[in-house]
Amino acid sequence: MKPQHRLGAAALPRWTHPVAWWAWALGLVACVSRTTNPLLHALIVSVAGWVVARRRPEAPWANSFALFCRLGIVVIAIRVVVAMILGGGLGDHVLFTLPSIQLPDWVAGITLGGPVTAEALLSALYEGAVIAAILACIGAANSLASPARLLATVPAALYEVGVSIVVALSFAPQLVADVSRVQTARRLRGRPHRGVRALAGSAMPVFEGALERAVDLAAAMDSRGYGRTRPMKPRDQFIARVLVLISLIALSIGVYALVDGVDGSWVSWSFVAIGIICAMVGLRIAGRRSIRTRYRPDPWALPEWLVLLSGWIPAALFIAVAVNDPASLTGQTSPLQWPALPAIPAIAVLMAALPGIVTPLPPGGGPASTGVASELRRQEVLS
Amino acid sequence: MTLQTATTTQSRPAHIGRRTGLALAAASTFGLFAFLWPLIGAADSTAITHASETPWLFAVLLPLVIAVVLADLADGGLDAKGIALIGVLSAVAAALRPFGGGHAGFEPMWIVIILGGRVLGPGAGFGIGAIGMFASALLTGGVGPWLAFQMIAAGWVGLGAGLLPRASGKSELALLTVYGALACLAYGFLLNLWFWPTVTVAGTLPAAISFIPGAGFVTNLGHWLAFCIATSLGFDIPRAALTVALIIAAGRPILNALRRDSRRAAFDVPVTFRAPVPASSVHVQ
Amino acid sequence: MITFDDVSITYSGATQPVLSHVNLTIPEGELVLVVGRTGSGKSTLLKCVNGLVPHFTGGTLSGRVTVAGRDTRTHPPRELADVVGIVPQDPMSGFVTDVVEDELAYGMESLGLAPDVMRRRVEETLDLLGLAHLRNRALMSLSGGERQRVAIGAVLTTHPSVLVLDEPTSALDPGAAEEVLAALQRLVHDLGVTVLMAEHRLERVVQYADRVIVVGGPGEAIRMGTPDEIMIDAPVAPPVVELGRLAGWDPLPLSVRDARRCAAPLRERLEPFVSDLSVATNMYGDEALSMSDAIVRHGHTVALRGISISAQAGEIVAVMGRNGAGKSTLLGTLVGLHGLNGGSASVGNAAPASLRGRELVTRVGLVPQDPTHLLVADSVRDECSATDLDCGLAAGSTRRTLDRLAPGIKDDTHPRDLSEGQRLALALAIVLAADPPIVLLDEPTRGLDYPAKQQLVAILKSLAQEGRCVLLATHDVELAADVATRVIVLADGEIVADGPAPDVVIGSPMFAPQVSKVLSPQPWLTVAQVARALEPAS
Repeated sequence: MKPQHRLGAAALPRWTHPVAWWAWALGLVACVSRTTNPLLHALIVSVAGWVVARRRPEAPWANSFALFCRLGIVVIAIRVVVAMILGGGLGDHVLFTLPSIQLPDWVAGITLGGPVTAEALLSALYEGAVIAAILACIGAANSLASPARLLATVPAALYEVGVSIVVALSFAPQLVADVSRVQTARRLRGRPHRGVRALAGSAMPVFEGALERAVDLAAAMDSRGYGRTRPMKPRDQFIARVLVLISLIALSIGVYALVDGVDGSWVSWSFVAIGIICAMVGLRIAGRRSIRTRYRPDPWALPEWLVLLSGWIPAALFIAVAVNDPASLTGQTSPLQWPALPAIPAIAVLMAALPGIVTPLPPGGGPASTGVASELRRQEVLS
Repeated sequence: MTLQTATTTQSRPAHIGRRTGLALAAASTFGLFAFLWPLIGAADSTAITHASETPWLFAVLLPLVIAVVLADLADGGLDAKGIALIGVLSAVAAALRPFGGGHAGFEPMWIVIILGGRVLGPGAGFGIGAIGMFASALLTGGVGPWLAFQMIAAGWVGLGAGLLPRASGKSELALLTVYGALACLAYGFLLNLWFWPTVTVAGTLPAAISFIPGAGFVTNLGHWLAFCIATSLGFDIPRAALTVALIIAAGRPILNALRRDSRRAAFDVPVTFRAPVPASSVHVQ
Repeated sequence: MITFDDVSITYSGATQPVLSHVNLTIPEGELVLVVGRTGSGKSTLLKCVNGLVPHFTGGTLSGRVTVAGRDTRTHPPRELADVVGIVPQDPMSGFVTDVVEDELAYGMESLGLAPDVMRRRVEETLDLLGLAHLRNRALMSLSGGERQRVAIGAVLTTHPSVLVLDEPTSALDPGAAEEVLAALQRLVHDLGVTVLMAEHRLERVVQYADRVIVVGGPGEAIRMGTPDEIMIDAPVAPPVVELGRLAGWDPLPLSVRDARRCAAPLRERLEPFVSDLSVATNMYGDEALSMSDAIVRHGHTVALRGISISAQAGEIVAVMGRNGAGKSTLLGTLVGLHGLNGGSASVGNAAPASLRGRELVTRVGLVPQDPTHLLVADSVRDECSATDLDCGLAAGSTRRTLDRLAPGIKDDTHPRDLSEGQRLALALAIVLAADPPIVLLDEPTRGLDYPAKQQLVAILKSLAQEGRCVLLATHDVELAADVATRVIVLADGEIVADGPAPDVVIGSPMFAPQVSKVLSPQPWLTVAQVARALEPAS
C-alpha cells in the first residue's frame, strides 16, 4: 500500500485534502437542512466537534469551529428573543405575557410583545438550531481545511485570480505589522500614538506603503515568469470564450425559467445543466493557456475518499428518510412533544465521525506555524 | 542595423472589453435572479413552490458563475501589475474587515472597494470587491454559503464605482459620498434577501416580515423592507454612515495615493523601442 | 552573456535620457559589480537586463539589449525568467507567497516545470544556500540575511544563467553579508552563473568582483574594467583602496590581505605618529542618558538582559553587534517604545516610557531604521510645516534645518521619491526640530552611498559639537571608526565590550575597520587619520 493510502495513525502525518473536508462538511450541512429534530442537530454538532478536536492543526484559522459555534448560539438567542418580542401566536401554553405595543400601519401593522407561548419559543429554538448546526458544520470545515491549500486547488483558468488571493493573504498580516510600525513613528514625532485619531493618522502611510509595494511586487512577479502562457490555438480560444458566454447566458435563462414558471421545470433544469456543463468545459479549455504546474500538491488517496463518503452517505440516507418517514426528522412543537432519536439517521450521523479515525494527523509545526497571529507575535519580537 | 520603432501602450488593469462586458452582464443577470427571486418569482414557478430549497440551489450555482466571470476577466487582461494591485487592495479591504469585526456594520473596507473601483476602473473594481471578500473570508475563517452572495454584491459595488461619471475636485467627492451611502445600504438590503426566505418561510416570525411564497411582488417587497428595517437597519445605517464619513475625511488623500500609484505602475505609459541613434559612443571592452 | 548595444533609455515625460549610448559586453561566468552614486542610473541599467525597462516601467529604449541571445525587445521579462533572475533591493517586496519552500517553488510553477524537477531543485537550492533548516518558516519571521538568501534561492530554482542583484548586502550585518557573498561566490565558481550586482558597500564586495562597471550619471559615459583598473580613479572607493592611493601602492590592493602585504613600509613611516593618536581625554559634558540593569523581554525572548550604560553630552556612541543582538531594542527602550521588565532607564532625568508627546521629543529623538516610517505628508513642504506646527516653531525652521543637512531638495517632492540620503536628512530634520539633547539613529547608513555617508559623518560630528549626545546602532564598522568616540558591543542582549572606539574595535575580527586591519598592531582607524599624520611629512 502506498504511504498516502494508509489510514489514521498508521499514516505519516500529512494534510488531508482540503476539498475532502469541505465535501464532508457540506454533506453534514445537507443532513442538517433535512431535519428539525434538535437531538439530531446536537448529534451532528457533536460529531463535527469530535472530528475537529482530533484532526485540528495548530493554526489560528483552526479556531473557527469554536467561533462558529459561538455565532450559532448568538443566532439561536436572537431568534428566541425575536420570537418573544414579535410573538407569533402559536400554541396555547402561555408561559408569560409581555406588555404589547401596536405599531402603526406603515410598518406593516406589527404587534410587539403580548403572550409568549412555549410552542413559539420552542419552534424558534428549533429553527435557530438548524442555522446554528449549519454554522457549526461550516466552522468545522474552516477549522480542518487549510485556506492556503484550498487555494492551491483552484482550476488553471482561475490561476491569475488565485495569485491575487495569495498576494492578499500573505500581505494582510504585513499590513497589521505596518500599522504598529507607523504608530511607533507617531510616538517618535511626539504625536498621539494610541486611540482612534492615532489610528486614522497611521492609516494613510500604511496604505501608501502598501500600494508602493504592490508595484514592486508586480515587477518581481513579472521577472519571475508570472503570466507566461502557452500560445493557444485561436480556435480553442474562441471556443473557450464562446462556451463561457453560453454558460452564463444558459444559466441566466435557466434560472429565469425557474423563477418565472413559464413552463414545466424540465426546460429550466436543462438550461441550468447546459450552463453548468458549458462552464466546466469552458473553464477547462481556458485553463489550457496556463502552463503552470503545482509544487507538492496534496494527494487524493484512500483517506480522502473515505472522508468524502462519510459525509455524503449520511446526506443520502437523510434525503431517503426525509422522503419515506418525514415525521422522524421533524422536531414536533405543537402539540408539545419530547423529540425521539430515530435509528437510521442517528447511525448515519455516527458514520460521519469516521474521518476522526481514518485521516492522517496534520503535520505539526509545519505551515500551521505560519498563521497570521503567530507571525504578528514574531514580528513584534523582531522589530 | 535596421530596427524599426515599435510602440505599445499598457492598458489599465482588468480592462473590460466587449466580450468581458457581455459576460459580466450575463453573470450579473444571474446574480440578480439569485437575490431577487423571492420578490419576482411567479406563484406557480419551481423556485417559489420549492422556496426552502431555492437559496441552496443559488448557493451552489453562484460560485460557479463567479468563477467563470473572474476567469473571463483575467483572460481579458490581468498582467502582473493588475494582479498585484488587486491583491494588495484586497488585502487592505480584508485586513479592514476583521478590524471592524463586522460589529454593528463597522466595516471600513467599503471605502477601499469604492475608491479602488473609481481609480482603477470597473473591471478592477469588481475584482477588488469580489476577491477582497473572498480573501477576508479565508483570513477570518468565514467561508460559507453566504460567501458567493457577498462576493458578487461587493463586486457590484466596486464595478458601480468604476462606472460613475467623470467628475473632479469637490463634485467627485460628493458623487462618491452619495454613491457610497447608497451602495452600502443596497448591499445590506440585498444580502438580507438571500437568506430571508429560508429563515422566515417556516412561519414562526410574524407574517408582516416573512416571505410568503406566491404572495406577489408588492406584498413580498413590503414584507422584505419591513424585515430589513426590523433586523438589519441597525447594521446597514452605521455601515453607510461610516463609509460616508471615511470618504469625506480621507477620500481625497486615498484617491491621490491611488492615482499616484497607478502613475508609478505606468499603466498608460507607452513602451517604445527605437533603432539606435547614431552618436559618438564610447565603446568599452 | 549580456550585451548592451548602443543603449539609451528615456523615461516617459523625461527630457534627458537616464542612460545614453551604453555599450557593454559581459562574458559568461563573471561577477560584475556596478557602482555609482544614488540616482546615477544603476537600477535602470540592472532592470534593462531582463526587460523590466522599458516593458514594465514604460519609456523608450533605443539600441538593443540581448541576454543569452534573447533580445529584450521581443522578450518581455516573463519570457526571460528562465535566463535572468532579479533580486530586488528589499527582498520582502518581491515575495509572493509566505513560506520559504513555497517561495522557492513559485518561479518554477510559473514556468511549468514538472513536479519531480521542482522537488529536486528546491532541495538542491535549500542546501546550496544553507536554508534547509528554514524550509517551513514564514518569510516574515526570517532575519535580513535569511530573507536575502531566500530571495536569491527563489530566483535560482529556475536555473537562470544570469543573476542580477540590487544592493544585496547593504541592509545586512557583516556576518550575514559574508554568508550572502559566500553563496554568490559559490554560484559563480561552481555553477558558472553570471552575476551582476549593484552595491554601495564596496569594502565588502570589491575583492570578489571580476569586473567593475562605473555608472557616472546622466551625460557621463559608462566605464567597465577590472577592479584594479577602475579603482585607481573611481569616484567611490573602499577605505583599503583609498589607503592604497594615499600610500601610492601599485598594483592597487583590493583586499585587506593584499594591502597588508605591502603595508610594512607604511607602518614604519607611521610609527613616530602613533603616540599622537592617544588623546582620549574626557572632554564631555554632563550625563545625558543612563540605563542600569535594564531588562526587556518580548514574550519568551529576552532582548536585553541587564544592560547598564551611560552617555554624556557631546559623545558619539556606536552600538554594534549582530542582527538580533538587541541594538534596536536598546534604542527603542530609550524612547519608551518598550517597557522595562526590570532595572531603570533615564533620558534627561525622566523615565522614557512615562513620557508622552512634547515631553518625549524635546528630550530624545530617534531616527528609525527605515526613515520613511517617520514621513507621512505628501510633500517635503507639508512635512516641514507640519513639524513646525507640532513643535511650535516659526514657519520655515524645519526647512532651514533640512537645507543645512541636505541642501537642494525641492519643496514639492514626495518624500517617498527622495533618495535614501535625502530621506534620512529629512527624518533627521524632523527629529531635530524639537531640539532634543539626545539623538538616536538606528542603522543610519543603510542604502547610503559614500558621499552621502561622508555627509552623515559631518552632520553627526556637528551634532556632537553642539553638545548633543548621539547614540547610533550600526553594523557599519567604517562609520563607527569614523565618528564614534565610544563603542558598545552587544551580544545576545548583554554588553560584551564598552570603551573608547580604538580600544574596542582594533583587533576585533568583526568590528575592525579595514584601515585598522591593514595597519594593526598600530591603532589607526581611518584613512583621514593616516592622511593627517603623513601631511607634515610629505
